[in-house]
Amino acid sequence: MEHLVFEIGLALGLIALGGLISAKLRFSVIPFYILIGMAVGPHAMELWHFDFRFIDSAPFIDFMGRIGVLFLLFYLGLEFSVGRLIKSGRSIVVGGSIYIGINFTLGLLLGFLSGFPLAETLVIAGITTISSSAIAAKVLVDLKRTANSETEMILGIIMFEDVFLAVYISILSGFVLSDSSSLGGVLLSALVALGFMLAVLILGRKAVPLLNKWLRIRSNELFALVVFGTLFLVAGFSETIHVAEAIGALLVGLVLAETEHAKRIEHLIMPFRDFFGAVFFFSFGLSIDPMSLGGNAVWLALAAVIITLIGNFSAGMIAGRTASLSPKASANIGLTIVARGEFSIIMANLGKDGGLMEILQPFAAVYVLILAILGPLLTKQSKPIFIMLNRWFKFKDRRVQQE
Amino acid sequence: MDIRESFLPGIGMKYQMDAASGDRIVVVIHDDGRRELYHFSYENLDESISMVTLEDQEARQLAALIGGMVYKPKQLESVEMAFDELTIEWYRIEPHYACVGKTIGELNIRQNSGASVIALMDKKKGKQSNPGPTAVLNMEATVIAVGEREQQKRFKQILMNGSG
Repeated sequence: MEHLVFEIGLALGLIALGGLISAKLRFSVIPFYILIGMAVGPHAMELWHFDFRFIDSAPFIDFMGRIGVLFLLFYLGLEFSVGRLIKSGRSIVVGGSIYIGINFTLGLLLGFLSGFPLAETLVIAGITTISSSAIAAKVLVDLKRTANSETEMILGIIMFEDVFLAVYISILSGFVLSDSSSLGGVLLSALVALGFMLAVLILGRKAVPLLNKWLRIRSNELFALVVFGTLFLVAGFSETIHVAEAIGALLVGLVLAETEHAKRIEHLIMPFRDFFGAVFFFSFGLSIDPMSLGGNAVWLALAAVIITLIGNFSAGMIAGRTASLSPKASANIGLTIVARGEFSIIMANLGKDGGLMEILQPFAAVYVLILAILGPLLTKQSKPIFIMLNRWFKFKDRRVQQE
Repeated sequence: MDIRESFLPGIGMKYQMDAASGDRIVVVIHDDGRRELYHFSYENLDESISMVTLEDQEARQLAALIGGMVYKPKQLESVEMAFDELTIEWYRIEPHYACVGKTIGELNIRQNSGASVIALMDKKKGKQSNPGPTAVLNMEATVIAVGEREQQKRFKQILMNGSG
């Protein structure tokens, strides 16, 4: 324990190394953070002065990862606004519902057919449904696709997924985190969670003028303290009443987004989100012993990957058609949002916190690793993939027919 | 012309226009100030033919070029802005000019040249916008005048020789 700083330094060094490798290979960083975490951990060796087992520092790394989740969802809340979603248009609500509907149903089917109980199945469906906003948005910018006609639809579906995530986590955390096993008890804790969230949102809305005044703080130091203090207090309090702390953070974000200080808070939080977010993926990797992989978790993950690919592609084709995009543009939709990442892992952690079956963690790890790497590749190669699939399916171009 | 504007969450704003020539141009303004210009041909609207990335400053300069404002650095003594027939020019008053020390009224600038002085920048007196007839044209001051090309020519004559 006395070499805590050194151990944390070692961990950060490894994370940085993973990031540098991914930048060199021009891949998304998320799988690399997880892989680096999986490579070390309790099963790893102690090399001379360097302890790669991270036993002493594990609780601290874990805690930093938890902070990472708080910041991720806090930022999501800050960024999100219903007004923006409505402004993006009706087609996006339709497309988003189609996308979530198809993927969520397939996830439920996978869970039930593999013989999992309800709670585990719901977590699995959550893991397979929600794609990574971070990876998809980055790939769009990197591949210079922002000007394409399907871009609005892709970003709209991502935003729609974020809404789904918020609602879903809150329902699921009431369900999974509650101690009671009876239906009545679960319903009660779900009601408490719902009541708490509504209370925060309604009070927060009423308090906006007051918050505007209170946050008019010139000193950056004090400003950061006030924002962080509020975030941790509300998130921590949520936990005490069996509402996932991530939901607490999301709620604070949603409330603060209404204030005139939203932009300043965003700027303040972004570096923290990136830093602690990276530790989050690392700590998740750390909790998985690669030796224990194999068998059920991997097969389940592979099945989920195949289902996700099929589900995403067909959802993209249908969603694109509703917005009368060409088949090629529609194919891009499904192939771009196939990447899974931060939200799938948050789901898996929720399962862990609720004491669900242990297979969820390695399953999520393998699943996210495959899709976080495969997603950007599929996006890049969407043209040849489309040409290939078109040979078999002969997608009709509605746009041309209409003219 | 129709410009379609849409918001790209997490990225910025997107503007799309279909030109009469049949080309489609898309401008994406990223939140960090970067601009991207995409060109699509009408035959294939799924994939852009070419794209350009510009920094904030570069985008402004390009906009000035496309907007028809020819930009010359101030150091080059005269900067022109074309406003149809009307141009705005900057003149530095050199020590040997005949106008040095005279007022705008004395030189009768408006009547003689047709151009009007809209601003005067003097080391001692500082900036004067829309100077009156009593304003003195000092050495090394910069005067900005608006007028048609012919009028600007006569104005320069007055500055140098004291009369048109």
